[in-house]
Amino acid sequence: MNAFDALLGGFANALQPATLMWGFVGCFVGTLVGVLPGIGPALTIALLLPLTYHVPATSMFVMFAGIYYGAAYGGSTTSILLNTPGESAAVVTSLEGNKMARRGRAGQALATAAIGSFVAGTIGTLALTFVAPWVVEAALAFGPAEYFSLMVLSLVAVSAVLGNSMLRGVISLAAGLLFGLVGVDLQTGQPRLTFGRAELLDGIEVTVAAVGLFAVGEALYLAWQGREAKSAEVMKMSGSLWLSKSDWARSWKAWLRGALYGFPIGAMPAGGAELPTLLSYYTEKKLSRHPEEFGHGAIEGVAGPEAANNAAAAGVLMPLLTLGIPTSATAAIMLSAFEGYGIQTGPQLFTAQGSLVWTLIASLYIGNVILLILNLPLVGLWVKLLKIPPPWLYAGIIVISTAGVYGAGNSVFNVGLLFVFGLIGFVMRRFDFPAAPLIVGLILAPMAEQSMRQALTISMGDWSTFVTRPLSASLLLIAVLLLIVPPLWRRVRG
Amino acid sequence: MTPRHVALLMAALAAIAFWQWTLIPEPVMQQAVGPRLFPALVVAALALVAVLYGLSAWRGRQIDLSHEDGQSALPGAQGRLLSVLGGGLAFMLLVVPLGFVIPATLCGMGVARGFDAPLGWRSALINLLVAAAFWTLFAQILGVGLGPALPWGI
Repeated sequence: MNAFDALLGGFANALQPATLMWGFVGCFVGTLVGVLPGIGPALTIALLLPLTYHVPATSMFVMFAGIYYGAAYGGSTTSILLNTPGESAAVVTSLEGNKMARRGRAGQALATAAIGSFVAGTIGTLALTFVAPWVVEAALAFGPAEYFSLMVLSLVAVSAVLGNSMLRGVISLAAGLLFGLVGVDLQTGQPRLTFGRAELLDGIEVTVAAVGLFAVGEALYLAWQGREAKSAEVMKMSGSLWLSKSDWARSWKAWLRGALYGFPIGAMPAGGAELPTLLSYYTEKKLSRHPEEFGHGAIEGVAGPEAANNAAAAGVLMPLLTLGIPTSATAAIMLSAFEGYGIQTGPQLFTAQGSLVWTLIASLYIGNVILLILNLPLVGLWVKLLKIPPPWLYAGIIVISTAGVYGAGNSVFNVGLLFVFGLIGFVMRRFDFPAAPLIVGLILAPMAEQSMRQALTISMGDWSTFVTRPLSASLLLIAVLLLIVPPLWRRVRG
Repeated sequence: MTPRHVALLMAALAAIAFWQWTLIPEPVMQQAVGPRLFPALVVAALALVAVLYGLSAWRGRQIDLSHEDGQSALPGAQGRLLSVLGGGLAFMLLVVPLGFVIPATLCGMGVARGFDAPLGWRSALINLLVAAAFWTLFAQILGVGLGPALPWGI
């Protein structure tokens, strides 16, 4: 069965009323959390993990995909109307978007962001549809040694390349790997790093760590600062949501260029969404016929980066679905959800769970349409949400976080651990440690260890297996280069 | 708190991790790689980066974002922090005897106090409504086991 036939089967499933309903709920919740500051898709999906026991896998992943795409859409509203980007990928949107809002063109900024997100999200999903089967075919040749090397590459890329400091990224990663090893060793049954506590035998749950770092850590930091007591200034909704002929002419090329940056870079292990949004912004600034408008509200400066952001969101799903490798905190938590359902990720996912994967991909197309319909007409509702006073907003976030963690197993111990991770998140936030490497390390530690042990068992304990197999050696070489080249480059330039 | 304190915390974490690693027993069966190797590599890596961070902090090269413009803490920072943590502690201590709603309300009030909302009837009422709404959504509609809403088992 080729990709097109499989996709048609996916559409048949995704258009079932129940699946469609979960997709709609995901898009709505995703937009909501994208709009609200202090709560993002990683946290939301982590909080919904306890539902994996109650909802079929297909419905759950369709909802998660809706949340993931919806948050990328919703983030633009906060950037444009509040000038407070909810995530780093939306920083660039606020540069021109908020200036447009201040000039009475908030409607046009929101419209080009939403339509650009739709166009780029659809292009990204198309690319995912037709490129993913190739990647799967290539990845089927991977053995445990290649998998271990691929995980090393991903871990190095996520921690050493992203963020402001390689050292702090690697520290965050090392802590994540350590936390990921807590619990019973699956091969020997030995408890490890558990302090003799029965509650830790099953390991540290990703929900506890992610929610603690993202929600409790952020709330502790903002409360400690004491600068969030009042609602920030929300711009009035001004200007029409209909784009003029000139707005269309200035936007459509920026959308396409943004999508072309976003998908391939998002699909790379260290890609993320920050780099393509920045590249898109500077490209549009360079190519624009109105460069003087940049810095004062140029529509291309909103259209391009928003498109790049959404195409990157589709790109991030590629290594997750084809290789089982998460390259962002949200993808890591989605991987954990696969584990929750007992679904083995990696290239075999497309064959063993073909129906689930293609339904998920089909639902991304449908989700893009739902989000386009949902975003613009409901913009008044999103604006109202931005006006919730911080005390009640953060009280709600912490109560829902506590409820989500407590509900996963009625464990008071886990609630305590949630606040411990909150304190860790507070320190990390204050001293600029990135949180994503910790979460990715936590999820990948047991998988990386298992691949390493399998590879060494096959090679009868010969460590050279990692460097004598060409693909494995190439992956390790890239990882080493990622560690060495950026500091050397900085030194040479300095 | 300064980056040097963070370095000390990391060194303490590495030391505790090393102590826990020494407690992992050797496997009974002969294996190419046992359960101790990978944790040993991770603990060693953590210790190494903790030392590197400590050296960097000692030379003043690590940053504290609260020293940047408009990022410093306003007076009363410790009190606000303790309010949020106190809310969490109240939830942990009371959720088993009192059910979900009352401890979650107290937790929300603690957090709201941390964001300078007065502790009063308004805060109690808003947080009570939020806690009851979440309990209804999670426990009643989505079937997540949050236990009873109130002490008398509702």
